[in-house]
Amino acid sequence: MDPSVLTTLKILLIGQSGVGKSCLLCRFTDDTFNIDNAVTIGVDFKMKKITVDNNNIKLALWDTAGQERFRTLTPNYYRDGQGAILVYDVSNRESFTCLETWISELKTYSTKTDIIKMVVGNKIDQERQVTRDEGIAFARRHQTLFIETSAKTKEGVYMAFEELVRKILNTPSLWEKVEDANVVRCNDGNSSISEQKYCYC
Amino acid sequence: MEDDLPSKYEVIVIGTGMTESIVAAAASRIGKRVLHLDRNDYYGGMWASFTFEALQKWLDECRNGKTSDSLKSSSPLVQDGEKSVNIGNQFSTVFNIEEKWFIPEKLPSIGNLQSAKNTQTEDSPKEIKDGQTESEEILKQNDKLWCQAKIKTLGRKFNLDLAPKLLFSRGTLVELLISSNISRYAEFRCVNRILTWQSDKLETVPCSRADVFATKNVGLIEKRQLMQLLTLCVEYKPEGDEFKGFEDKTLKEYLESKNLTENLMHYVLYAIAMSNDTTPCMVGVERTQRFLSSLGRYGNTPFLWPMYGTGELPQCFCRLCAVFGGVYHLKRAADSVIVADTECKAILSDGSRLDCDHLVLGVADAPPEFLGSVPKAGLSRGIFILDRSISISDKESLTLLQFPIKGKEPITIIEAGPSTHVCPPGLYLLHMTTKQIENAVQDLKPAVEALLHTEYADGITSRIDTDTQSTQTTKEGDSVASKGDSNTQYGLLKPQILYALYFNCPETSGYDLSQNVPSNVHLCSGPDLEVDYEFAVKQAKSIFSKMYPDSEFLPRAPDPEELSLEVDEAAGPPFQSSEEPKEE
Repeated sequence: MDPSVLTTLKILLIGQSGVGKSCLLCRFTDDTFNIDNAVTIGVDFKMKKITVDNNNIKLALWDTAGQERFRTLTPNYYRDGQGAILVYDVSNRESFTCLETWISELKTYSTKTDIIKMVVGNKIDQERQVTRDEGIAFARRHQTLFIETSAKTKEGVYMAFEELVRKILNTPSLWEKVEDANVVRCNDGNSSISEQKYCYC
Repeated sequence: MEDDLPSKYEVIVIGTGMTESIVAAAASRIGKRVLHLDRNDYYGGMWASFTFEALQKWLDECRNGKTSDSLKSSSPLVQDGEKSVNIGNQFSTVFNIEEKWFIPEKLPSIGNLQSAKNTQTEDSPKEIKDGQTESEEILKQNDKLWCQAKIKTLGRKFNLDLAPKLLFSRGTLVELLISSNISRYAEFRCVNRILTWQSDKLETVPCSRADVFATKNVGLIEKRQLMQLLTLCVEYKPEGDEFKGFEDKTLKEYLESKNLTENLMHYVLYAIAMSNDTTPCMVGVERTQRFLSSLGRYGNTPFLWPMYGTGELPQCFCRLCAVFGGVYHLKRAADSVIVADTECKAILSDGSRLDCDHLVLGVADAPPEFLGSVPKAGLSRGIFILDRSISISDKESLTLLQFPIKGKEPITIIEAGPSTHVCPPGLYLLHMTTKQIENAVQDLKPAVEALLHTEYADGITSRIDTDTQSTQTTKEGDSVASKGDSNTQYGLLKPQILYALYFNCPETSGYDLSQNVPSNVHLCSGPDLEVDYEFAVKQAKSIFSKMYPDSEFLPRAPDPEELSLEVDEAAGPPFQSSEEPKEE
């Protein structure tokens, strides 16, 4: 692992279809904006390095892969997430109303009780149906961070991610864990070095 | 109903069990349009893992029958020459459900507990101190006592598997997870202990080379014998002479010919070869090879167990399916299948007609006439919440035990603790699975009685301190609990069952499910008896190759890390620089 990187954080993007989750993600990671990618296909998660208060952090930003469409995200998606970005579309009231259910789903499946939540009102470049004050009130009620963004104009996007990461870093219990050496991730690289000790060949 | 669901697909998959999910992922991965439905509001079907609350809900549904108001399919959607076959489920039945608590609903209030405590301890120095300390002390002690309310409060920390299974470290599922890159969605722990039941006690089976050297359970000569035998099995090739003459005999007979001690016989036959008295010799050798070849890849036993329970695994495949465009809809049942000639054309679901080229169905969702008159076979399952491990050691263990039953299939026992996120701290989860002969309670009885303490715990006395393993009890009368317990001399008490659930469910792995179905309908079996996933992966592969014979099965999915991070490091997005904190 890169020694200059303090930690890797898993960030979840949640919210109704069409609120611009993938656009936020693309704007943040690649600085691109493509209005045409109607439904998320092929985007699993994206990696991005960010520097917050002189700490190098690697972010694994997980997209919903369209599974939110019929409210069918897998519990597996939420596992070990340290931060969650709940996105709504300020030009679509319904996407704001249904944040309640996303919050409660997050509460049900999140495995870290102190996961940092951020409510993001996206598409502020468009005509509003939800005021900024309503967004703030919602965030206060659920004790989450709050920011408004436009993936199209870039406004607020970088700040949103930066704020979230800063808050996570201020909550050491979320990331200062002792690496559990007994947890196995299967991939080509990590077969045991001491194999001879075990096998009979 | 919000129904902007597209109406044409190449593959429709109904049910999110293991096999169905693998097929869905494989089809989606090669660019097929996939719709994946499940009538339940959770993933996994009979392969799911539940929180305690969700388990209760599932049990209620099993007891009361699901509200499948199969409205007669409206004809306008069925065209000329087509026939609508109603979906019913003779195989979704879970039966012989027996649920039992062994602890009180609530713990006695602190006041009661205090008086109970005062009567038993003559002079507690704490009594002189202020009441604060006293009640804190009691609360602390209360931590070790369990009641139903406490289990329910912690209910979300459980992941109770309907189909607990392990992965061979070099088995087909691990290889598939790696080759497809689906491994990034899952984490595992190694099973670090294989136990066996011999002469009325539990013993740790030395299975790796290092274990064999280190073990105190076998003598020097035995060690040599065991090493030789295991090496023979590893090096076995069909053209060799070693097993000549044993082709028609049992593994037991072969082992007997080797003059092994009873001890070694037992280890090899029941634990390493995972066999019984009647297992044919060559089958046993093959199993031994499989066992030994998986050793050492990730740990000192051949097995892995998924964090958060086995219900995670189907979800990993569903995630990949979705990433490549698969459409997911839970709580959505199919009402009927539309068949014309010998082909399935579409399904009807919630009043819509959804066309497909291929239909993949879990047995639980298959119309009875697709199944024909398949004979019934079943699994006997037991799920036990325990207050400690069946064999306490200095650190938390993840255990496999094949409990031998004379003349029958063994009872497969998997015990997992809190570090795998299947139960809250202080508890253990024990799963038992065996072939159904009578019913789950009867079939599992030998293992339950041998390993577990089945008396009711009153919630006032704690029999033994879990952490220190001391045999001291908090109340003298408690010796009743340990009286009949032969293990007391080792300073160990059997774990107390806090909650037990027994049930039977169908086992369809032995049936040819392709007999009565249209040519483009593919049925998937539910969980099978074996401890691993070999069957499910094999079945998924065979279904996929029937559908798309010329396509690769789950080629490696690209790694986002490789793709985007390199670019970032090279250039760095321009807009970032303006907001980036100043460098020192």
